[in-house]
Amino acid sequence: MSDNQSMRHESTLPGPLGWIDAWLGRAEALMLGAGVLLMAFNTVANVVGRFVFQNSLFFTEEVNRILIVMITFAGIGYAARHGRHIRMSAIFDALPTSARKWMMVFIAFVTAMVMFALTFFSVRYIGSVADSGRILPSLQIPVWWIFLWVPLGLAVTGIQYLLTALKNLVSRDVYLSTQVLDGYDDDETEV
Amino acid sequence: MTAIMVSTMIVLLLLGFPMMIPLIVAAFIGFYSMFGGFDQMNFMIQQFMAGIRPASLIAVPMFILAADIMTRGHSADRLIEMVMKFIGHVKGGLAISTATACTLFGAVSGSTQATVVAVGSPLRPKMLKAGYKDNFVLALIINSSDIAFLIPPSIGMIIYGVVSNTSISELFIAGIGPGLLILGMFALYSYIYATIHKVPTEEKATWSERWASVRNAIWPLGFPVIIVGGIYGGIFSPTEAAAVCVLYAVILEFIVFRALKPVELYKIAKSTGLITAVVFILVAAGASFSWIISFAQIPQTILGSIGLAEASPTGVLIAISIAFFIGCMFVDPIVVILVLVPIFAPVVESAGLDPVLVGVLITLQVAIGSATPPFGCDIFTAIAIFKRPYMEVIRGTPPFVFMLVLAAAMLIMFPQIALFLRDLAFK
Amino acid sequence: ATWRYAFEEAITDVQGVFATKFKEHIEANSDHSIQLFPYGTLGESADIMEQTQAGLLQFVDQSPGFTGSLIPEAQIFFIPYLLPETHAALDHFFRNSKAINEDFKETYAEHGLELLKMFPEGEVVVTTQEPFDKPADLDGVKVRVMTNPLLVESYKAFGATPTPLPWGEVYGGLQTNIIQGQENPLFWVESAKMYEVTDVITFTGHNNFTTAVMANKNFYDGLPAEDQKLVQDAMDSAFNYIMEYQKGLGERSLEKILEQKPEMEVVRLTEEQRQPFRDAAQEVEKKFIEMTGDSGQALLEQFKKDLKAAQAQ
Ligand code: NA
Ligand code: NA
Repeated sequence: MSDNQSMRHESTLPGPLGWIDAWLGRAEALMLGAGVLLMAFNTVANVVGRFVFQNSLFFTEEVNRILIVMITFAGIGYAARHGRHIRMSAIFDALPTSARKWMMVFIAFVTAMVMFALTFFSVRYIGSVADSGRILPSLQIPVWWIFLWVPLGLAVTGIQYLLTALKNLVSRDVYLSTQVLDGYDDDETEV
Repeated sequence: MTAIMVSTMIVLLLLGFPMMIPLIVAAFIGFYSMFGGFDQMNFMIQQFMAGIRPASLIAVPMFILAADIMTRGHSADRLIEMVMKFIGHVKGGLAISTATACTLFGAVSGSTQATVVAVGSPLRPKMLKAGYKDNFVLALIINSSDIAFLIPPSIGMIIYGVVSNTSISELFIAGIGPGLLILGMFALYSYIYATIHKVPTEEKATWSERWASVRNAIWPLGFPVIIVGGIYGGIFSPTEAAAVCVLYAVILEFIVFRALKPVELYKIAKSTGLITAVVFILVAAGASFSWIISFAQIPQTILGSIGLAEASPTGVLIAISIAFFIGCMFVDPIVVILVLVPIFAPVVESAGLDPVLVGVLITLQVAIGSATPPFGCDIFTAIAIFKRPYMEVIRGTPPFVFMLVLAAAMLIMFPQIALFLRDLAFK
Repeated sequence: ATWRYAFEEAITDVQGVFATKFKEHIEANSDHSIQLFPYGTLGESADIMEQTQAGLLQFVDQSPGFTGSLIPEAQIFFIPYLLPETHAALDHFFRNSKAINEDFKETYAEHGLELLKMFPEGEVVVTTQEPFDKPADLDGVKVRVMTNPLLVESYKAFGATPTPLPWGEVYGGLQTNIIQGQENPLFWVESAKMYEVTDVITFTGHNNFTTAVMANKNFYDGLPAEDQKLVQDAMDSAFNYIMEYQKGLGERSLEKILEQKPEMEVVRLTEEQRQPFRDAAQEVEKKFIEMTGDSGQALLEQFKKDLKAAQAQ
């Protein structure tokens, strides 16, 4: 896997699905990059406000909270796409290729199902928070807004793992994700 | 229920599932058996959100970002070059410097994960190049970063102080002795390691070479000045320091050194976001697992069945050590402190133990448990940031855990290691 | 049955003492048992509230200040000088106030909660590095407050610079001088060791930290009459206990603080010195009405009526 390959937001899906998938990948990347930079900006702005202008920004903490949720849940889909979720693969790696392939189908499928279940629960949770009418004290916006990323990120992650299961079923090699072949490479690849 | 949860978790872990799955599935089982169905699973999501809520967490992405900018630009190289000019000729010097840098950075930043990233990412490549084995390097970085739990400011000590009604100032001072003791042990081990593995040393640099390297590193030396000056000067909190470092790194690498192009900032930020997400989803999943353990009162059940009331003071200290060590292997340290401290409070009091000593011992166990597999934020951070397989990241751990356990034993036998400085300052 | 009861403080703090008394009464007078969940063991304040509304927990202690994001009117407790300043008047107020015992009960019921008891936790004091006795002294002093609009408004009106800081960073922030002050009930100043990092405690009389114990309404309504009575009796017993406990608590906390730090300066503002701070409260009332509208205004008027009755005692 070269740098170029992993940076591309190409999908392995056919037709319009692939187009959607590719754009989703780009959107996730944007959320990650912009989210992290905004967090730095927001935090520094509060420091400057407090120390230089004697005026703290009361919304800083809440904005950072929103960004953390966004980064985490945009990021898990992106990590799934690039096979970057942390796993302990010692036993897995010791298996022969065919066994690894079936194992990966199983792992990816179960992971996808767990993600879909969580998606469902998160929608239900957001519904209950919305019903309660709870608001953020300083931004004065409904709390459930900040959770909207959660089901989206979980669903995208679930889909990525489902596609990984399919990819392993239809191809000869073992895939960690739709785009990444199994095996750690020593290069510090950019993702 | 506990047995099924833990065994499922371990099986899924060993099969090679993404590590969030063992945690989530174990929590699923807990919720299902506790509430007899799926009706209350919403609260798993509530706890996901609670897990990634603490404001101090933002230090992690911020330090990752700053460290990545420094490493890809010139700052990190120039700083390390300078250090090497001073200690390159010493056996194990680079390893000892890494351990020291982790301890100091952890002490100031208050975040062990941030330390793994900020100190580990520039220094690991140099250590590999110098001839150290990767599993030693990784274990050294993770374990030295965990010394940060013991050295002020320490959020674990603050929480312990509030829950147990113990002086936080005294805790802070009492943590320094054991922290330095552990650093000393790690330094000694580094020296022995370098000797046995015949890690080559550099030729001793002349003073003019050293001076030149200092001048070359004058801008990057602004990092420690800004962090220490800013925090102790009351300009920003340790958490905010991370974001200020980002700003300084951007100014240096993009404007002063012109080492990086603006478009690279976005790329680095994106990679920061990815690493953050991979670690934080585990923090989130871990929170829901911790919640169900706490809700089901599992620690109370387990500890209630052990007769602690008649134990000797040393027996109580050993029991506390084991309970916190095991707890922190699986559950977030803060939650472990909040849940277990009140359970042990009556026996600590009846045994007549010094709450400061107990607090230091607990903090030490928290540090050990966090660096010990299977679960540990610093392990996850190291995997995510260095892209090394899980087994390789933890393979070098045993000697370090042995030293930490030895330190805990010494602390139990000779409480003065912790209390000496405290008594000097407060008594 | 086993009932679960979560609160926002450690087991040795006021909410924990109240909960322990409640538990003792229930377990001594019935076959029911109570599991207590102190601060942080099931999440933060907002988390345990949701868990109670969903019926995972049967009882929850949440301070109205934290309920503010759910029930805006609950923020009335942040308006300075709205609660009595003496123990006797406070006792009368919490036992007899219509606002507390009737109006709030209805409001909480709309959110699926049975309000069982509201009680004071102790006088809120301000701890700072330098003494102050008038708003001008607070000029440029950064006082840490929770990010609540009314608290922010209060400290602005008091002449200080209200500053948000996550709770975990307050101790360090005072040490390094990011902030120069904070407010909390006196017992909390003692138990959270705020006195270690500030030099002056000032009694401004502007508030008494109030908290509320609630039950999940479906759970409570579904209890047989004798169990409802049991819960009420246990609440009354815990309330009586805590009011007695309260009486000496302030002094005990202060004693402990002075024992640990004899050089701590203690300032009690006189009636005259409190007046400018009292006047500043008008601004905060305005802000409260702006945020809560007619229902808030009606509640505020009832509060003032109840306050007058209590002070007449
Ligand atoms: Na520290
Ligand atoms: Na661990």
